[in-house]
Amino acid sequence: MSEIAFFGAVEIGLVYALVALGVYLSFRVLDFPDLTVDGSFPLGAAVCATLLVAGVNPWLASLAAALAGAVAGLVTATLNVRFKILHLLASILTMIALFSVNLRVMGRPNVALLMQDTVLTPFYGLGLPDHVVRPLVVAVVVVAVVILLARFLSSEFGLAMRATGVNARMARAQGVETDFHIYTGMALSNGLCALAGALFAQTNGFADVTTGIGTIVVGLAAVIVGETVLPARAMLWALVGCVVGSILYRLAVQLALSADAIGLQASDLNLVTAVLVAVALILPRLRLKAALKREQPKGVVGR
Amino acid sequence: MITVNGIHVTFGRGTPLEKHALRGVDLTIPEGQFVTVIGSNGAGKSTFLGALAGDVIAESGSIAIDGTDVTKWATPKRASLVARVFQDPMVGSCTALTIEENMALAAARGRKRGLGFALSGDRRRHFRDRIAELGLGLESRLHDRMGLLSGGQRQAVSLLMATLAGSKILLLDEHTAALDPGTAEFVLGLTRRIVQENRLTTLMVTHSMRQALDYGDRTVMLHEGKIVLDVSGEQRAGLDVPHLLALFARQRGGEEIADDSLLIG
Repeated sequence: MSEIAFFGAVEIGLVYALVALGVYLSFRVLDFPDLTVDGSFPLGAAVCATLLVAGVNPWLASLAAALAGAVAGLVTATLNVRFKILHLLASILTMIALFSVNLRVMGRPNVALLMQDTVLTPFYGLGLPDHVVRPLVVAVVVVAVVILLARFLSSEFGLAMRATGVNARMARAQGVETDFHIYTGMALSNGLCALAGALFAQTNGFADVTTGIGTIVVGLAAVIVGETVLPARAMLWALVGCVVGSILYRLAVQLALSADAIGLQASDLNLVTAVLVAVALILPRLRLKAALKREQPKGVVGR
Repeated sequence: MITVNGIHVTFGRGTPLEKHALRGVDLTIPEGQFVTVIGSNGAGKSTFLGALAGDVIAESGSIAIDGTDVTKWATPKRASLVARVFQDPMVGSCTALTIEENMALAAARGRKRGLGFALSGDRRRHFRDRIAELGLGLESRLHDRMGLLSGGQRQAVSLLMATLAGSKILLLDEHTAALDPGTAEFVLGLTRRIVQENRLTTLMVTHSMRQALDYGDRTVMLHEGKIVLDVSGEQRAGLDVPHLLALFARQRGGEEIADDSLLIG
């Protein structure tokens, strides 16, 4: 793997780390399997790119992208909480709708960012090569998000949100407005995914409606890889695990693609990801089964 | 004080499974009274408790707690006035969170939850002191997940959690039913102590007539969604399980008691 390919993988891993953090919030904290991210990621890219072309300040454009994602999350949450549509289906409805919305936002299937200033522009002239600057800037954003998110989840409000995901009935009995916490968590989760989309557009120089396909699987892969390599219980470390998982996942993919012997092409990426996630989900179950089998003679599972 | 006026609850209205679970329940519980609630399966005990807690909203009638009409309040809002312990220890606590996180969750009941740390040094010390009172040695295990505790330990911690936010009403829904007899005895003793120390107005649903008579100041029996028996004071003190059964049979117009669960002592 070349140096540029390495930094490229780290960069894209860091961008998708924000997706992983969002997916961690929905899947793990709220226990809400949310596929909206496949729409909110390109939504963030679309909103950001369109605003940049219109000459808006890049930081403001990124913020607007995050807010747009948050609204998408609220739509899914409303369909589920208010109208009792199954969470998976609710999120698929929003995701499908967002495809049209993203085309409307951009007015065409893709927008190129060639001459526009991005959040990266001020850092390009500081002596570091461009392929190093990009991951560095994204890393700063990711670190800030991890710290803020860890702080948020250890607050009273954040604890109530975690309880909502673990045991909603108990949470309500303890006075937690669980509906409100689902709204907030879903907005936050999709806001992060849209922010990732905005950074993706700025680091890659384009926004395209099709970039969202499979975002959820990549995010989930990062979360699972993170949990495997960093099985932490403390909130901060669980979040760091998402970031590490995302980078490792991208490096592994890059390695697989650059090893000619395996014969993989870039277009095989989705297949490889799906297989990886499936294996990661199956393995713990098999391990549990094996462990139970070993325990049985001792009469622990005497049935 | 709890004032319940003619509440009705129907599940699955208009479906073949329609069940008129509560058919006009009236009950006034003065402050500090400990009421035990008995009745056969399907008598409406749990529904009644759910109606008080807000899980079930009564379709007619009214419920007032300390003079405030809470009839239409949902569970989270009522939680500011009411603490609960559930039958299943898994339901009553967050097994994936630590003991101290569970306690922090309960301590904020009825309060606005802000962005301040859920667990500060002060709060941890407070929780440690409180959990030490249980005498179970749990003060060294605050960082353990709730799921690692035994059923009895979890119910004990749940009882403690019910007192952390200072609400005056405690609802116990067969909270010892999932425990072995020895542990149940311990948890019941703890219940009595906590109710007395905090002068809580308490409603305890139980499947055991023995427990119903041994604990508390007043016993209420539900049958088919109505209160059919309400004894306290000397009348209650003179009662034994067979008397209670006879009283129950008379109330029901001599109907045979076919339900074994009523006889479990």
